[in-house]
Amino acid sequence: MCMRLRIALLLPLASLIAGCAFERVAPWDRDLLAESKMQLIPDPLESYLDEHIYFSKEASSGGQGVGGGGCGCN
Amino acid sequence: MVIPRLLVTTALALGFAGVAPAADPAPDFSLPTATGVIKLQSLRGKTVYLDFWASWCGPCRKSFPWMNEMRRRYADRGLVIVTVNVDKDRKLADRFLEEYPADFTVAYDPEGKVASTYKVKGMPSSYLIDRAGYIRYRHIGFREAAKAEIESQIESLLAP
Amino acid sequence: MQLKRHQPIRGALAAATCALVSAAPGMAWAVEAGGDWNVDSALLVYSEIDRVTVVEPLVNMKKQIGEDEYLSGKLVLDAMTGASPNGATATNRPQTFTSPSGNLYTAPAGETPLRDFRDQRVAVSGEWDKPLDRMLRGLFGASLSGETDYTSVGASAQLNWDVNDRLTTLSAGLAYYADTVNPESGAPVGLATVATATTGGNALSKDTADLLLGVTQVVNRRTLTQLNYSHSAASGYLTDPYKIVSIVDGTTGETVDYRYEKRPDSRARDAVFWKLVYRLPEDVIHLSYRYLWDDWGVASHTADIKYRYELDGGAYVQPHLRYYAQTAADFYRHSLINGAALPEHASADYRLGDLTTITAGLKYGWSPTKRANWSARVEYMLQSGESHPSDAIGVQKDQNLFPDVAAWILQVSYSAQF
Repeated sequence: MCMRLRIALLLPLASLIAGCAFERVAPWDRDLLAESKMQLIPDPLESYLDEHIYFSKEASSGGQGVGGGGCGCN
Repeated sequence: MVIPRLLVTTALALGFAGVAPAADPAPDFSLPTATGVIKLQSLRGKTVYLDFWASWCGPCRKSFPWMNEMRRRYADRGLVIVTVNVDKDRKLADRFLEEYPADFTVAYDPEGKVASTYKVKGMPSSYLIDRAGYIRYRHIGFREAAKAEIESQIESLLAP
Repeated sequence: MQLKRHQPIRGALAAATCALVSAAPGMAWAVEAGGDWNVDSALLVYSEIDRVTVVEPLVNMKKQIGEDEYLSGKLVLDAMTGASPNGATATNRPQTFTSPSGNLYTAPAGETPLRDFRDQRVAVSGEWDKPLDRMLRGLFGASLSGETDYTSVGASAQLNWDVNDRLTTLSAGLAYYADTVNPESGAPVGLATVATATTGGNALSKDTADLLLGVTQVVNRRTLTQLNYSHSAASGYLTDPYKIVSIVDGTTGETVDYRYEKRPDSRARDAVFWKLVYRLPEDVIHLSYRYLWDDWGVASHTADIKYRYELDGGAYVQPHLRYYAQTAADFYRHSLINGAALPEHASADYRLGDLTTITAGLKYGWSPTKRANWSARVEYMLQSGESHPSDAIGVQKDQNLFPDVAAWILQVSYSAQF
C-alpha cells in the first residue's frame, strides 16, 4: 500500500520533472547555453585551486568530477 | 517509402550524417535577406545547398570558407547556396559575417520558424535539395572529413 | 601540514575532468573563437594569518589536435612555508616538541602548538579529450605529483554520452591513484608515546579508486543543471605521520604526554553533488550543493553561490559565498585521558573535528582583446569549531581547544587563445 502510494506520488512528480520542468530547447535556441560563462565550470583553474584549498582544509573533497581532489588522508 | 524513411530517421537519431536519398519535398519558405526576400520555390530547377547556422556555433566558422569555395566551383553548373541564420539578434549575425564573409545568400530566421520546419538537429545543419525540390541529403554538423563526401553529393545532383 | 598534505595531482585531474563534464549538453558545437592553442595560467597566494602561506603558480596548455579533439598538459608548482598545528592542544604551560627532522620547538602557554615546515610540490598532468562518436566523448588523463615525502601517480577515464537531442549528457568516470608516503624519519607506530615511539618504516602506500556517475540536463534556454553521485574508496596508510594527540590528566586536564595519531586504514566516501547555472538577462548565477558522507563518521554540507554581474565592455564582477559544515570523524579527539583505555583510532587533527568554513570573495574579470582574459579575485576564509567543548577537563576549560583559522586567498589569472 505504502509502496503503491509512493509510486502514485512519484510518478506525477517524475513526469512533471521530465515533461514540464525540462523544456525541449531547440538546437537554434542554444545560444545562451553556448556561452563560456554558462558552462558548469567556467573557470577550470579556479575550480582546481579551490578544490586544492578545501581538500587541504576540510575532511570532504570531490563530488564534482572523478577524483575530485580527495585522497582520504586529510 | 515507410521503411527508408524509418531508416533515415533512425540513422539521424543515431547521429549518422549524410544519409542517402530521403526524397522528402523541401518545405518552401520566404525569408528576408540583406537585399530582399528569398523564396525557396523560386529556385526550382537549381540544386540548392541549404545551410542553417548561428554566430555562436564553432564549426559554422569553418563551413563559411568552404561554402564560398563550393559556390565558386559549382555556381555556373546550377548550384545555389542559401544559408539561414538563426541568431535572435541580427547584429550578432552581421558581426560574424564581417569576420567570415559570405559570397552566398544569407537569410534571417530569428525565431527559428524555418529551422523548426526542417527539424534542424544541430548547428550547423545542411540539406541538399535537388532540382525538383526534394531533400536528397542531410548533414548535421560540419566536419573536415565530410567535405569530400558532401562535394561528391553536390556533383551527383548537378550531373545532367 | 595544512595545505601541504597530499593534494596529489589528483586535483589537477579532477579540475580537468570537471571541465569535461562541464561541457553543456549540445555544446560540443560551441568552441571558442580562435586558433589551436589555449593557454590558461594563474598565480594563487593562500595565506593563513599566523600559519601557512602557499604560493602556487600553474599553467595549463591545451591544443586542438583534430576535429573536436584536444590534448592538454598542466604544470603546477607549490611553495609552502609557515607553521601548522601538530595536533597537541593548548595548555596552561609551555610545551616543547621535537620536529621530524630533530629540531626542538616550543609553544607558549595558552597557545596551540604549531610546527614550522617548508615544502615544495611539483605536479604534472596530461589529458586527452577525444570524440569517440558523434554523441560520445572520452576523456583520458594521467597525473604525477611529488613533494619531499609524498608522491602520487594517477590515471582516469571518463565517458560523456549525449542523448535526448543533446539536451542530456550522461557521464561515467573512473580514476585510480597510487600514492606513496615517505615520512621524514619513518612512520611512527600509531598511538605510540611520542618520546619512545619506534618507526614503522618508509614508502607506505595508499591507493584510491574513484567512481563518478552524472547527469547534465538542459532545463530551458537559460538554465543548466547537473547531478552527480560519486564514490571513493581509499586504503592503505591514511594517517598523518606528523600529527600527535595530547594525553591529559583526567582530573586536572593538564597535558602529561603525547601520542602519535592513528587513523583507520580504509575510508569509503559517497557524495551527491548538484549544480545549477542560471542566466538572467545578462548576469549568470552558479549555485551548487554537495552532501558527502563517509565511513569515518564525517558528513558534510557544502553550499556555494557565485553571481556574475556583467559590466560594460565585457568586464564583470563576481561575488562568491561558500558555506561548509562537517560533523567530526568518529575517532576525532581533541585529547585523550591518561590511563584510560586507548581507542583503536584517534586523531586530534582539527580538520577531522566538527568544523564550519565560511568563505566570501570577490572576483573581477576583463578582456583586453577578444582572445585574452584577465581576472583577479580576493577571498577571505574563516574556519571555526568547538573552541570550548563540553568534555574539556580542568585547565582545558580555560584554553581555546579549537582556535579559528583565517586565511586570505588572492589569485590572478590570464588566459589566451592563439
